[in-house]
Amino acid sequence: MTALRTDVADVPPPDLRFRRHVRPLSSLRDLWRSRELVQVLAEREFQARYKQTVLGVGWALVTPVLLVIVFSIFVKRVATVDTGDAPYVLFAYLALIPWGFFSSSMTRGGGILVMETSVLNKVRCPREIFPMAGIASAGIDMVVSTFVFGGLLLITGYEPKVTVVWVPLILLVQVMFVVGSVLLFSVLAVYVRDLLQALPLLLQLGLFATPVAYGVEAVSQDSWRLYALINPLVGVIESYREVVLYGHAPPWELFLPSSLTSVVLLIGGYIVFKKLEGGIADVA
Amino acid sequence: MLPEGALRANRVWKRFRADRRPRRLRDALEAPRDWMLRSQERARRYRWALRDIDFEIEPGESVGLIGMNGSGKSTLLKILNSIMYPYAGSIEIEGRVGALIDVRSGIHPQLTGRENIFMFGALLGLGRRAIATRFDDIVAFAELELAIDRQAKFYSSGMQMRLGFAVAAFLEPDVLLIDEVLAVGDTSFQQRCLDKMRSVRQDGTTLVFVSHDLNAVEAMCDRALWLADGCLAVDGTAAEVLGAYRSTVERSARADLPTVGPVRFGEADVGPPGGGVAQTYGPLDVHLRVESDVECLARVIVGLTQAVASPIFVVERDVALRAGRTDLRCHIARLPLPHGRYAVWAGLAAPDRRDVIPWRPVADVDVLGPNVSDPPSGVPRAAPVAVEAAWDVTVT
Repeated sequence: MTALRTDVADVPPPDLRFRRHVRPLSSLRDLWRSRELVQVLAEREFQARYKQTVLGVGWALVTPVLLVIVFSIFVKRVATVDTGDAPYVLFAYLALIPWGFFSSSMTRGGGILVMETSVLNKVRCPREIFPMAGIASAGIDMVVSTFVFGGLLLITGYEPKVTVVWVPLILLVQVMFVVGSVLLFSVLAVYVRDLLQALPLLLQLGLFATPVAYGVEAVSQDSWRLYALINPLVGVIESYREVVLYGHAPPWELFLPSSLTSVVLLIGGYIVFKKLEGGIADVA
Repeated sequence: MLPEGALRANRVWKRFRADRRPRRLRDALEAPRDWMLRSQERARRYRWALRDIDFEIEPGESVGLIGMNGSGKSTLLKILNSIMYPYAGSIEIEGRVGALIDVRSGIHPQLTGRENIFMFGALLGLGRRAIATRFDDIVAFAELELAIDRQAKFYSSGMQMRLGFAVAAFLEPDVLLIDEVLAVGDTSFQQRCLDKMRSVRQDGTTLVFVSHDLNAVEAMCDRALWLADGCLAVDGTAAEVLGAYRSTVERSARADLPTVGPVRFGEADVGPPGGGVAQTYGPLDVHLRVESDVECLARVIVGLTQAVASPIFVVERDVALRAGRTDLRCHIARLPLPHGRYAVWAGLAAPDRRDVIPWRPVADVDVLGPNVSDPPSGVPRAAPVAVEAAWDVTVT
């Protein structure tokens, strides 16, 4: 039996400080191993959201449909938006799909680390699966609203162009941007709770700062690159419009700066997340 | 490199902010001034939860973690489970770790029991197929056959707890960390939890078990670690550590007794008549002095305990107290207690059963005699009692 210790110092010797080593490769491997968990969490988030509601998944459609109606009635009359030969409904709705994905990913994934403290404080698992699950759940909504876009195409009789083959590339950039933003935001929100209060406001401002109701032409062409660099959704949305509605290649002038920001945000967001996740259980 | 199922804590330190008040804008503005404070003063704003914890656990060992509330047991378990990270030092664990920090955590009220099993199992690291093969066992163990497709918010708290334990217990990890899971649940479920933990242990799983139920720790563990004020106070066999812990608990319980009021206990003197050390099946005299300012009728209750307030047995007597000092002498003819250290507790109750002097320890007594026989492995004993038994074995 080891006897009672009485010689414990007041503070640990400095050379004993714990350094948490973040190894990106093994973290990614852990994340990949937890993919089922992301799926289960996303399903749970999705089900918990729509269970016991009358409209159910219909709620995934309410926001974009309502917004597109509002845009059609007001924005179109107040401002002149040049939509080429595409109907305004398609022009606006196509932008609302990525915007809605970003917005609901932030809403669901951004605060999830704060909400799930009961699990985070009790169960060991890669922390990034929680924001990921929020994003995945928002992704289900996006799929649903994409079907509605198909319906709109049928109703308007407008034919999408063959350049839709570019869509996967644009989607990749879009997902990188969303994952990076949500990871960064969710972990910062654990430490600075004010961010959660500010989020709805930020998203509302973001909707106006993004060419959803209008086209990028509303901004003077000199600042397009800067605009797309600051707000990667600019490049994403304009690229979708070009490839789906107008039959052009993505506008590289917008798409490349947006891709650059998205990649930087994804890598930077992931690094910040891994750096800060060690203290989540201490403050949550 | 440690063998599978082993874990080691290398001089682990952990601190928390002492002031839990939220940081506001003003604090942020004052931050630069903080940097000018001497580092010592800055350090005072933190409270050390763990200090220099250093131990190693072999594969297959079962270790109890005991200590008072706030001594750092749960923090240590969270660090072992990599939920938290230490401030200094490090942790090494080989093998798959299963942990039950709180059985009811992770159960989502909106989902059904079935969905929760898959969800909770996934959180504990089980794949969908692995859960499916154990699904029936889990449901049967949790006795939730009829409620499995009901939403968990309609479960009783016992049902939620059974669900949580059942999922974690069927995880079959190399290292199993369990925090105070037996505190809730009815007797038969507690017994089945202990059974399950025992069979998990017999399969070679390393077990780290936090509990205030010292009898359960004694039954389940070979070794115990005693945390006191964030330090690893004693590390040894379960019997040694629990013995030391029990007597300290009693000493500290006696230390903070109030000595005011109209009726007070004076000195207590416990021992066999004629002096010496008490023996099993021998006599014991409890001599208790009561000082009273008033005249009253009261019932004096004297009992012997081991580390807990609930006694192994009590004896009682109605007395008419006069103002002044009353000497009470209780003679116990045959002490039914095996070898060990016990505490004598006493209380004084009014005829309407209200406390005149609350139940409290008044003295220690050591008993010499045969050691008590152990119950089957993993079965906690309620209280030690010495019983004379004669066996008659006939082989036919």
